[in-house]
Amino acid sequence: MTREEVMERINRIFRDNFDDESLVIVDETNAEDIEDWDSLEHINLVMAMEKDFGLKFNLKEVGELKNVGEMADLILRKLSV
Amino acid sequence: MNAYTYEEIEIGHTETFEVTVTEESLDAFRGITGDVNPLHRDDEFAKARGMKGHVAFGLLTASYLSALAGVYLPGKRSLVQSLEIKFASPVYPGDTLTVSGEVTEKNDAYRVLRLKVAVRNGKGEKVLRGTMQIGFTEEGHG
Repeated sequence: MTREEVMERINRIFRDNFDDESLVIVDETNAEDIEDWDSLEHINLVMAMEKDFGLKFNLKEVGELKNVGEMADLILRKLSV
Repeated sequence: MNAYTYEEIEIGHTETFEVTVTEESLDAFRGITGDVNPLHRDDEFAKARGMKGHVAFGLLTASYLSALAGVYLPGKRSLVQSLEIKFASPVYPGDTLTVSGEVTEKNDAYRVLRLKVAVRNGKGEKVLRGTMQIGFTEEGHG
């Protein structure tokens, strides 16, 4: 899977999660950019990504992420293992 | 009261209990919420709108999910995070309800459960269905 494909799937997950088809996610997007992205939605996003990509994250991995681009990189690393 | 830990619970774990909706519980709910709508206390008003009589508050039915999480699944360590529900059929005072929850998902990173929840009346009809997300409280904070 290419990084572009990962970002496309992440974008879809964000749109579904926030019920907003106009959301455009870029590498730099973080919780400050989306009003409803609070701690509870963060859990929902991580769970949705685990399900969608068939992966499991640990708390340390997701706790270190600063933006969506870093999440995409983490997913790519885990997919390549 | 159950006191399951996150590790003790497996996908598919199910808990169920029964509760009877009484006029007293409707009165208590009315007193707490201030919802004095006649649909929940006036038989004539309710029958004119196609009901068999005055109906229980939907959110009273949903409130039993608090006990499902806090007493049964996972019980003592429960911390309810979110709830999505649909009211499928009316509930009437005197109905005995079966409240159930089944674990459909676990998230190890955040130690969170997702449950499929349902409430059925005495005829086995689903009166409420939905999903519930529950975390765990841990000692040592504060």
